[in-house]
Amino acid sequence: MKKVTFVAIFILILTTSLVKNSTKEIEDKIFIVNENIRPLKSELGDVLLEYNYLSSPDKLTQYQNQYFEKDLIKIDITIIKKLIEKNNNILISDFIETTNNE
Amino acid sequence: MSDKKNNVILEEYDNEFSYKKSKTNLNIEFNRIAFILFIFLVISIIYSIQLFHLGSLKIQNETKPLISKENYRADIIDRNGNYLVKTVSSIDIGINPIEVIDKKKLLINLKLIFPKKDYMDISNKLKKNKYFYLEKKISADNYEKIMLLGDKSIKSEEKLTRIYPQKNLFSHIIGQIDDDNKGISGLEKSFNDKLKQIKKPLQLTVDTDIQFLIREELIKFHSVFRSKGSAAILMNINNGEIISMVSYPDFDLNKRETVSDVIFINRATKGVYELGSVFKTFTVAAGLDEGLIETETEFFNLEKKLKCGKNIISEYDKKIPPNLTVEQILIRSGNIGSVRIGQKLGIDKLKLFLDKIGVLNKIDFDIEEVGEPISFKWGKCKLATVSFGHGITTTPLQLAKGYAIIANGGFEIKPSLIKKSTGNNQDRKRVIKEGVSKKINKILRKIVTTKEGTAGLANIKGYEIGGKTGTAEKAVVGGYTRKAKVNTFASIFPTSKPKYVMIVLLDEPKTSEEYIYKYKNKSGSYKGTPFNTAGWTSVEVAGKIIQKIGPILATKYIEN
Repeated sequence: MKKVTFVAIFILILTTSLVKNSTKEIEDKIFIVNENIRPLKSELGDVLLEYNYLSSPDKLTQYQNQYFEKDLIKIDITIIKKLIEKNNNILISDFIETTNNE
Repeated sequence: MSDKKNNVILEEYDNEFSYKKSKTNLNIEFNRIAFILFIFLVISIIYSIQLFHLGSLKIQNETKPLISKENYRADIIDRNGNYLVKTVSSIDIGINPIEVIDKKKLLINLKLIFPKKDYMDISNKLKKNKYFYLEKKISADNYEKIMLLGDKSIKSEEKLTRIYPQKNLFSHIIGQIDDDNKGISGLEKSFNDKLKQIKKPLQLTVDTDIQFLIREELIKFHSVFRSKGSAAILMNINNGEIISMVSYPDFDLNKRETVSDVIFINRATKGVYELGSVFKTFTVAAGLDEGLIETETEFFNLEKKLKCGKNIISEYDKKIPPNLTVEQILIRSGNIGSVRIGQKLGIDKLKLFLDKIGVLNKIDFDIEEVGEPISFKWGKCKLATVSFGHGITTTPLQLAKGYAIIANGGFEIKPSLIKKSTGNNQDRKRVIKEGVSKKINKILRKIVTTKEGTAGLANIKGYEIGGKTGTAEKAVVGGYTRKAKVNTFASIFPTSKPKYVMIVLLDEPKTSEEYIYKYKNKSGSYKGTPFNTAGWTSVEVAGKIIQKIGPILATKYIEN
């Protein structure tokens, strides 16, 4: 019984050492990946900031005035249509349902 | 001859030595194994401790911010994830002339890196022996080059820069920070500690595109009606999420200027105004809530004028009939009829109702720039004036809250600028009886659709807008002035199933001779503003805004 216990402990210790060794390698890899992600995250944030600025409504309006002759127009909600697929057919209906309140 | 005899006596030698087992029972084989195992155990424990230690170090590495701790401040994004504020780490390069060994060599090296700089000026600065900045917010390439010079006199300083890509758009909501990375106004102030702690960006409920469109309309009509300022709030009536909140004039946060002029006050939350007839909705709702009136209840022989103390209360519309139902009183914005409903309610009931919908006391909000309604002593005359919205003040934000509660079925809401992860699951606490909303919403719609109503200019097809106008003369020493007015339009839409409340307030608008009003739902137009009342100013602005933002709200927020 004692021998079995000791062998079990020994195997456990051996396994722990092996697992520990392999996790250490994975940890190192994770650490390196994290370290590589950090500047990328920062870069992504900066790029997104630039994108948000360049695609902001203010900038888009400015570009529109600068490069296009036609003015932007308001969308009339009553002309927006809804497409519903039913039995391989597409049904077209008004997006806004007319109510008695109109 | 002696006879020597060698006598050898052989004795049996009894050898007492014999190998015996140790009396201590020492098992050498067993102890060797045990000892080895013990060593293994000790080693494994040491490894385990190291493993835990490394594990904890890993967490520290992961959470380490890109910017040093005292400079760190979380970014702020809108409901769609667009940056409203971003913290960017920048490096400033300074030179300490005392530590310069070879000035000529340094200048030549600097010229290679920054060829466009004024080196006469830099040379003069070096002679003064005072620390100066060579380049602020240096690029990564130039930073590497200048550091490679290895000159001890060149100092690098890490600085925090808050970038506001939307410039003026959210100036009153976001607010400013000082040079010590401390928020001094808006969300930067009220969420100062949180912004320094949280790792993820702070997400707001506002929508950049809608905020832009509303601000554009306010700017346009600011010049049309030459108003002192204006404000607009768009809020979801079911969960209190503020989709847009604009106060104009505003300021560019990137300029980091000290804003002290009262013209830049946040009119949406800080401005405390007498809002006039928009309060009549509250009086009628209070009457319906108490069960004292119904929409068809008739009031007979309504006077054209009432005297209360020194004040005379009269009708704005001289053609208003003497007999009116509750519905007609609200549609035609009758002052005397509202006074009669108020008198029927009494001070306690009206006060309790106004308190329930949150217009009487200071509101608890996400930013600290919140106005406090002016307290007053209730009395018979005060009851009469409060019934039609005079002698009582509140902020546009509280007005929005009040209208939201009345329109959403009578449930309490808390206006908020911060997006909650739980979505719309706010505790639904009923504060107004069931059925009141339906009756009020129906009347509010009629104010927009009927000829007698005061908000016909907001009858935009497809949106079912309902609302109430309010024109209030501004209080001056000793009374009111007709010249300066506050025009408000409190609207809800779509009235059949209300989702949004929108408040448009114009501070001291004037009439415009040039502006052309296009008739709604029929051809033709009308040139010039006849009166600087809400029906001709804030209603027109609200209509134009809803026309622009409506398709976005209807399609983008369809699932909400």
